[in-house]
Amino acid sequence: MGFTLRDHTADVAVEADGESLGGVFAAVADGLTAAMCDDPAETGDRFSFSVRAEGREALLFDYLDQLIYERDVRGVLPAAHEATVRRAGDEWVVEASARGVPFADVDARDVKAVTYSEMRLAETDAGWEAYVVFDV
Amino acid sequence: METREFGDIELRRVREHVWEIPQEGEMNAPARVLASEALLDHIGDDKTLEQLRNATHLPGIANHAICMPDGHQGYGFPVGGVGATDTTDGCISPGAVGYDINCGVRMMTTNLTYEDLRGHEEELVDALFEAVPSGLGGGGVVKGDAETIEDILARGMRWAVDAGYATDDDLAHCEDEGFRDDARPEFVSQKAKDRGRNQIGSLGSGNHFLEVQRVTDIYRDDVAESFGLEADQIVVLIHCGSRGLGHQTCTDYLRRIEKEHKDLLDDLPDKELAAAPAGSELAEEYYGAMCAAINFAWVNRQLIMHRTREVFADVFDRDWRDMEMRLLYDVAHNIAKKEVHEVGVDPEGRPVRDGDAVEREERELYVHRKGATRAFPAGRPELPPAYADVGQPVIIPGSMGAGSYVLRGGDQSLDLTFGSTAHGAGRLMSRTKAKQEYWGETVQDELREQEKIYVKAQSGATVAEEAPGVYKDVDEVVRVSDELGIGDKVARTFPVCNIKG
Repeated sequence: MGFTLRDHTADVAVEADGESLGGVFAAVADGLTAAMCDDPAETGDRFSFSVRAEGREALLFDYLDQLIYERDVRGVLPAAHEATVRRAGDEWVVEASARGVPFADVDARDVKAVTYSEMRLAETDAGWEAYVVFDV
Repeated sequence: METREFGDIELRRVREHVWEIPQEGEMNAPARVLASEALLDHIGDDKTLEQLRNATHLPGIANHAICMPDGHQGYGFPVGGVGATDTTDGCISPGAVGYDINCGVRMMTTNLTYEDLRGHEEELVDALFEAVPSGLGGGGVVKGDAETIEDILARGMRWAVDAGYATDDDLAHCEDEGFRDDARPEFVSQKAKDRGRNQIGSLGSGNHFLEVQRVTDIYRDDVAESFGLEADQIVVLIHCGSRGLGHQTCTDYLRRIEKEHKDLLDDLPDKELAAAPAGSELAEEYYGAMCAAINFAWVNRQLIMHRTREVFADVFDRDWRDMEMRLLYDVAHNIAKKEVHEVGVDPEGRPVRDGDAVEREERELYVHRKGATRAFPAGRPELPPAYADVGQPVIIPGSMGAGSYVLRGGDQSLDLTFGSTAHGAGRLMSRTKAKQEYWGETVQDELREQEKIYVKAQSGATVAEEAPGVYKDVDEVVRVSDELGIGDKVARTFPVCNIKG
């Protein structure tokens, strides 16, 4: 269970799997971190947030978008992701946390945005798998 | 008829460098690829053609969806794609603009020669790297409060003039004089403004860069003279966009379209083509927000140019005005604009493919250019007075080991491409593969020792990902543009110093 960075002509793709929906969300987020930094430092404090959306794919999109937003406004590289996903009536909710590594401690580069392009989120015999392309 | 097949897509040769995917099924128009055989081999190698065919599904698309010679796979709409949609019964697509709204390039000329600069390369690249924020979390030239952000979004480069970062002459040499009157800052989300406030005047990373270059070749003396270019001259090229503010604006509107216009989205083959129907509230709000982000990007590049002038003044111990550091032109290559073009229409007046048209008439269109540069020939009313009689300057950045080009809008561009041409060399190799093939420090050492190009970057991985070998042959891209008459070769430049994130 984890992630792999996949080839994409101009951008970067993350393929990930997890035993639960929360697990695969966190694994994609770890892939996003890897796309920005080869070796994140072990520094920084954890922060938490939650996101709600109308469906599972939309929730994955909004979760990753929120991480990019938190990165820019907190001035940290989010790393070591944890996530729990649940259904709440008509919506889906992710309760998430990450360690915010200060930019001063890492050699990192920008990822502009999450995209829906070729996005896949599917249940498998072993849990869940996902494929997400990020704009670099 | 000569044809080429790539997977399930068949292209028919229309004429030299022009290939067509015929209209069929749910396509609303044919698609065209402008490429030589060699470039077509690259274009057919990934999902570019599939994405181009998908783009023809956009409602109200006029004439053709078009792929420029440097086209490659993007997300939803291909990079190097041009699609014009009717502003009355068509749509506007954030996905066909891209996340980096008004990503673009500007070139500044100087009166320095390469000989003047020799011996200063290391000092210059270090000073530029120090002065121009780059990379992730590098901050900006200006730290903006809420009022500053609003002002920049509303007034673009006019804000920069009032704040002392730009001159009236800079405005006169920028696309739309650095200001979109249609900007509506109130339709840019607080999230986007939050992301932008720490990044006003910053390069970012990826393929964005600032490069000091020398002019090596002049192809059209009269046009070069009008552009203020001559052989051996030092120029500066700046390539970046609207940073987190633009990226967030695109993201916000993609999600709103998903929620508010699901019926239209369900008819499109790719969610990233997300489009709002022309005339809808959402279309108007996106256009206003996008224009505000366009203003932000022009200010971003202006602040970087301002810092560059200060650095040159320090290094050469002269006022930048004495070095005649003038903006040649600033032009976007990720944008949608309302423009009037001639299109074929059916008996009901709807834009249709040429073969079905009963007449041609001028229509207002949203011209989406995603990784494509506006390339208007002389005579278009949008051109600034300085270039009204010669044609619009088009700046084509190459890789950090190859040359860049200055073109001018070609006479054929209005007929073939809604007044557009390429935007760069076009990527060939993925970032993940590039990091396996190249090592950043080695690339830097080789460029310095073999080519006398001084590169400085926040991240060694960025240098590997942007190594010259990951790009297509920019000479071939420009050759096709020139031979098609959509963008005419004027001058070629070669890197001297390059900084990136």
